[in-house]
Amino acid sequence: MKKKGLLLLLCCVMLLTGCWDQRLFKDAKLIMGATFDLTEDGRVKDTVSILIPEAGTDRATEGHAHIETGIGHNLFDARNEIDKQLSYQFDPSKIEVLLIGEELAKKDIYSILDGYYRDPRNNLSAEVAVVEGEASKAFSIKTDQEPRVSEHIVGLLDAVAKTTHSHGDNVQLICAELFEPGIDIALPLLTVDTEANKINYKGLALFHDKKYSGISLDAEQATLLLLMNNKMGKVARITRQVSETGEPGMTRYLSAEVIKQNRDLKIKPSGGTISVDVNLDLYLNVVEYPKGKLTNPKVVAELEKQLSKTLTKEANEIISLLQESHSDVLGIGRRTEAFHYDTWKNMDWDKDFKTIMITPKVNVTIQEHGIVG
Amino acid sequence: MENPKNQGKQKGQPNQNDAAFFNNKISRLQFFFLIVQTQIGVGVISLPYNLQQVAKQDGWISLIGASLIVQLIMFLHWLLMKNTPKQHLFMNLENILGRWIGKASTLLYSLYFIAVGALILILYTRIINLWMLINTPKWVLMAFMVAAGLYLISGTIKVLARAYTLFSGLMIILIVSLVYGIRDAHLIFIFPMGVEGLEPILKGVNEGILSLLGFAFVLIIYPLVEGTNKEKLKTIFYTQWFVLGFYLLVVFSTFTFFGAKEILLVPQPVLYMLKAYEFSVVERLDLFFISVWVVSVTTSFTTYLYMSGKGLKHMFNSKREMPFMIMMAIVAFILALTIGSGEQRIDQYGDVVMKFGYLFSGSLPVILLLVLFVRKKKHTGSGSK
Amino acid sequence: MGYRRRKSRRDKLIEEQPGNEADVKEPSQPSFSQLSQNIEYLTKALKHSNDLKIRILQDGQAALLFFETLSDQEKLQANIFTPIESGNFDSISKLPNGKKTDDLEEALKVLLRGHALYIEEGNKSLVYFTVTTTYNRNVKEPDNEKVVRGSHEGFVENIMININLIRKRLEHRDLTIKYFRVGKKTNTNIAIAYMDGITNPELVKEIKKRIKSVTADTILSPGFMEEFIEDNPMSPFPQTLSTERPDRVIANVMSGKVALLAEGSPTVLILPSTFFMFYQSPDDYNSRWVSGTFIRIIRLMSFLIAIGLPAMYIAIIGFHFEVIPDDLVSPVKSAIEQIAYPPFVEAFIMVIIIELIREAGIRLPQPVGQTIGIVGGLVIGDAVIRAGLISNLMVIVVALTAIASFVVPSHELSTTLRFLTFPLIILASTLGFIGIVFGIMFILIHLVKLESFGNPYFAPVSPLRIKDLKDTFVRLPLFKLTNRPNDANPINEKSMGESREWKRSGKSKKSRQTKGTTQPK
Repeated sequence: MKKKGLLLLLCCVMLLTGCWDQRLFKDAKLIMGATFDLTEDGRVKDTVSILIPEAGTDRATEGHAHIETGIGHNLFDARNEIDKQLSYQFDPSKIEVLLIGEELAKKDIYSILDGYYRDPRNNLSAEVAVVEGEASKAFSIKTDQEPRVSEHIVGLLDAVAKTTHSHGDNVQLICAELFEPGIDIALPLLTVDTEANKINYKGLALFHDKKYSGISLDAEQATLLLLMNNKMGKVARITRQVSETGEPGMTRYLSAEVIKQNRDLKIKPSGGTISVDVNLDLYLNVVEYPKGKLTNPKVVAELEKQLSKTLTKEANEIISLLQESHSDVLGIGRRTEAFHYDTWKNMDWDKDFKTIMITPKVNVTIQEHGIVG
Repeated sequence: MENPKNQGKQKGQPNQNDAAFFNNKISRLQFFFLIVQTQIGVGVISLPYNLQQVAKQDGWISLIGASLIVQLIMFLHWLLMKNTPKQHLFMNLENILGRWIGKASTLLYSLYFIAVGALILILYTRIINLWMLINTPKWVLMAFMVAAGLYLISGTIKVLARAYTLFSGLMIILIVSLVYGIRDAHLIFIFPMGVEGLEPILKGVNEGILSLLGFAFVLIIYPLVEGTNKEKLKTIFYTQWFVLGFYLLVVFSTFTFFGAKEILLVPQPVLYMLKAYEFSVVERLDLFFISVWVVSVTTSFTTYLYMSGKGLKHMFNSKREMPFMIMMAIVAFILALTIGSGEQRIDQYGDVVMKFGYLFSGSLPVILLLVLFVRKKKHTGSGSK
Repeated sequence: MGYRRRKSRRDKLIEEQPGNEADVKEPSQPSFSQLSQNIEYLTKALKHSNDLKIRILQDGQAALLFFETLSDQEKLQANIFTPIESGNFDSISKLPNGKKTDDLEEALKVLLRGHALYIEEGNKSLVYFTVTTTYNRNVKEPDNEKVVRGSHEGFVENIMININLIRKRLEHRDLTIKYFRVGKKTNTNIAIAYMDGITNPELVKEIKKRIKSVTADTILSPGFMEEFIEDNPMSPFPQTLSTERPDRVIANVMSGKVALLAEGSPTVLILPSTFFMFYQSPDDYNSRWVSGTFIRIIRLMSFLIAIGLPAMYIAIIGFHFEVIPDDLVSPVKSAIEQIAYPPFVEAFIMVIIIELIREAGIRLPQPVGQTIGIVGGLVIGDAVIRAGLISNLMVIVVALTAIASFVVPSHELSTTLRFLTFPLIILASTLGFIGIVFGIMFILIHLVKLESFGNPYFAPVSPLRIKDLKDTFVRLPLFKLTNRPNDANPINEKSMGESREWKRSGKSKKSRQTKGTTQPK
C-alpha cells in the first residue's frame, strides 16, 4: 500500500516536472573560439568563431566556422551583442581557445576571464594565448590546414606545448598562478600575418601578476626557460652553433633532443634577501651533426663544453629578461615563502625580485647520437 | 532516580516495541560502511574551502586534530554503549535520565536530527542548482531525495546496511577522480607549514569536526552489530581513519591544485578542480562527480531521517515505524523549503544547526555516561552495605 | 506490512486444514458391489463423455472402462488380454500388474490419468491397469538456451522424463523428489527436487508451504506457480530462474537450491534465485575459465548498457553536452542538427519500433520472421534517418541497447531490462544526470530490498559475501570454488575436498621418482 503510494507520488512528480534545464544540443550555437580586444574607448571587442555543422550529409563532418563580433562594456555585454545576431542561443560551454589581444593583456587579463571562471557551464580547459596586435585578426585567417580556424589555433598551441615551447596551460591552470603573489605565468604569444594568411607562434609572453609586461621570449629561449622550470613537454629540441668554421654553414650547427633533464633550484637566504642557483643538467641525443665523429670521447667532451657555455649564457639572458619584466615564472617567490618563510615575510617581492641574484648554470651531457657515429 | 520503584518497570518496557529492531543483526563490515556513508556526505565538496578560510594552508593539520577529537568522543560513546548492552540511545535516555526527561530529550534529538536532515537537503539543492540544473525548482530535487530516503528506510535496518555497503562501491569513483587531480599538484602550495600560529589551526579544528558529524549514528546501531565490544571498537576506529584518509585526500588534492589564494575564490574547490579535466572519452568530470556525490548525500540524509523517525517512534512507544518516518520526511521537506535559498540565510541556519551538533553528538552522550557511572558507583556502594 | 499480514492469515488457513499432510481433503465414495451401479456412477461423474469406452466382458459380468483418447490400444492388449489368452490367469482381476482400489472417486482419477479400469459384478474392489499413452517430443536442445559446448539435452513436456533426466545425471540417494498436485480443476502434477543434506530444510519447508497455499483452479505451467509463490509479485525482476536445461538444474540443485518441475511444461523453476544467477550460463563452465570470466564480465556490462545507455545519451544531448569531448562535438552536432523531435521523443519512438519488430518476429513463422527483421531493421532504420525523424546516433544507441538486453541468458530478465529503460529515459529527460542517478538508486535499493524465498536477491554483492564473488563477476577455475555459494543457505557448505594435490605434493614426488630412476643407471 505504502509502496503504491510512493510510486504514485513519484509518477505525479514526474508528470509535473517539465524540462526546466533542458537545452538541446542541436539548438545550441556553439562558440568554439573567442578573441578579446580593447577598443579605443575602453570597451571589449569580442570576436567569436561559431561552429556551423554541415547539414544534410550522411557522414559526420567537421563543419565550418562563422565569425561574429560584438562590442560591449564587459565580456557579458559583448556576448549579448553577439547573441542578438545569432539564431538560437549563444553557448560557450565547448569553447576550445581564448585569444587575448596585446593591449588588453597589458591591462589585466583576469577582468576578461572572470566571466569564464564564474559560470559553471564554461569550459575551463580552453587554451589561452596572447596575440600580438589585435587578436580578432586571428579569426580572419583562412587556413586550409583545418576546416575551422579555432581548431587550427588549438592544434598549433597543442603542438608548441608538446615541443616544450609553452606550458600548455588552460584557463583553469593559470588561475592559481594569477593569484599567488610569488609565481607568474607566461602565455604563448602568437602573431598574425594577414597578408600571408598565417598564424605563427612567436614565443612566450611574460606576465607580471595579471598583466602582460610587454616583454616576450623567442621560441628558443622559451624552450630553455621551460627546461629551467622543469616543465619539459613530450620533446625538447635544441639547435645551437658549436663551431666558428666549416662549410657549408650548416656543418657548424648541432641539433639535439633532450632525453632527460634535471633541474636543481637552490634558494639561499642571506641577510634579509636571497640568492638563487638554478642548475640544469641536460642529457641529449644528437639528431643532426654533419661533422660526426661522436664516438670519440674527446669530440664529445668538447661539444658538451661548448654547448654548456652557450646555454648558460642564454640562460643568463633569460633570467635578466625575467627580472626586467618582473615575471617570476620560475616560482622563486612561492618557494621562498614555502621554505624560507621568515625571509619572505621581510621581503617586498614586488620590488625585490628585480634585485635578487639568480645564477643559472646549464650542464650538458651527450648521451646518444642516433644510429650513426 | 527519584522513584526507584518505577525503574524496573521502565527497563523492561521499551524492549517490547523494539523487539523487531533487535532481531536484525548487522555485520561489522556493514557497520563500517553505515558510519562512513553517514559521515561522508554533503560536506566533501566545500570542506577544503571551509578549512582554508580559517586555517590557511594548515587546514589539513586541523583536520587531523578534528579527527582525533572525534575519535575520543566516539571512544566515550563506545564506553556508554558497552555499559548498556542491548540498549540504544533513546532507551538510554529514558533509563538513565528518567522517563519524562528522557522523553523530552528524545524529542529534542529527533528535532535536531531532522534539522540536520533539512540542512543536508538545502545544501544539496543549492549545489545542484549552482552547478548542474540551474532552473530546476528546489522542491523537485528535494522530493526526489526524500522519496529515495523513505524508500530506503521502508525496509529494515538490514536493508539500510546492505544498501550503504553497495553504494560504498561508488566511493571508488570519487577517490579515483580525486587521485587523478593530484597529477597537476604543486606540492609547495601546502608550505609553509604552521606559520600562522596555533590559533587558526584550532579554529580549523572546529570546521573539521563539523564535517565529521554524523557519528552519533553509532549510538543507535551499536547494539545490533555482531561481535565483541573490542572488535566493534576497532571497527569504529577504522571508520574514522578511513574518513580521515578520504578527507585528507580531498584537502590535499585541492590545496595543492589551487594554492592558498585561489581556493578562497572557489567555494566548491573539489568540483572546480575536476571541471577542467578532460579524457578522450568524456570531459567535465565535475558533472560525474556530482552525480556520484548525490548518492553519498542521499545516504547521509537517510541516516538522519532514520534516526529522527526512530526517536519519534520511541517517544510515542509505537510499534509502527513508517508513519513517523513519513512525518519526519515531510517536516524536513517543509523546513528545507521555508528556509529556501540565499547564501547568507543558509550559512546562518547551518551555523545554528552545527552548534547543536556539539551538544547532541558530543556533550549529551558524555553526560549520560557520567550519570551512568555515578549511579553505578552509588549502586555498588549501597550493594556492599 | 500489509503484505505480511495477508501472508500470516494465509498461514493460519493452511494450518486449519486438517489434511495438511495429504495433498487436499479428497471426497471419497466407496464402490458398490453392483456393476451397473458402479458404471452409472462413473459415467455420470464423467458427464457421459463420448470418448469413455466401456467394454463389456464375460457376458456382462464385468466391464473394462478406459478413455480411448488417453489409453494406448496396444498397451491394453499387451497388459491385459495377452496374459489372459496365454491361460496363466483365469481372471483379469488376478493379473499381477493390476492395482486395486475400492474408492470410486479414486477410480475416477485414475481413469482421467489414462488407466483402464476393470470392474466385476459383485466385487467391490476395482482393478486398474496402466495403459496410458504419451506423446513426447525428443529431449532436444531448447531453442532459447543454446550452448556451444556441453550437453544438448533439454526438458520436455513430460514430468517423468524430466525427472528421469535429472536422476540420470545425479545418481545419489540424497536426491529427493516430492510430488504435489495443484490446480483444483487442472490437477497438475508438480514436483520439487532437492538434495537432502545440502539444501536447507527451512527452505524446503517454506517452499512446500507456499506450494500448498495455491488454491487456483488452473495451474498450467511453472509460470503460474511462479506468481503464486514468489516473494514480491510487484517487482519487475524475476525472482525465480526458469530454465529448460537439465545440466543447469543439476548445478543449482547441487548448490542447495530447489528445482520445481511441472507436468506439461519443459520449464523448470529454480528457487531461490539471485540476480547474478541470471547472468550465469552453462557455457561459462564449459569453456576455459579465463574466457568464461571474460564473457561473463561482458554480459554484466550489458546490464548497464541495457538499462542506462539511452538515458545517458538523452541526458548528454539534452542537458550536459559539455561532457562530449572536443573532437566529437562537430560530428555529433552535425548528426543531430536536422532532427525535428526532442531526444526523448526520438528515443521513445525508436525503442517502441524495436519492440514491435521483436514481437512481430517472434510470433511469425521463421521465414516470415526473418523478413520482418530485414524490413524492420534495415528498411525502417535507414528510412527514419533519411526522413530526419531520428538521428543515426539514436539508432546506434537504441540498437546497442536492444542487443545488450538480449545478451542476458534469461528471457525474463531481458524483458525486464528493456522495460526498465523507460523510467530511466523519462527521468533523464527531466533531470539529466541527476535523474539517472536517482533512477538507478531506486532500482538498486529495490534490488537490495528484494528477497527470494527469504534469501537476499542481490547477493553476493549486497549483502557482501566476498567469498562468493569468485563465481559472480568472474568465474575462477572450478577447483577454486570449494564452497557452495551462500545464496540458498546450504547446510553443507563444502562442495569439494582437496583437488589437484598432485600439483603440489606430486611434483616433489615426481622429481624424486625421476631421480630414483636415473640414479641406478
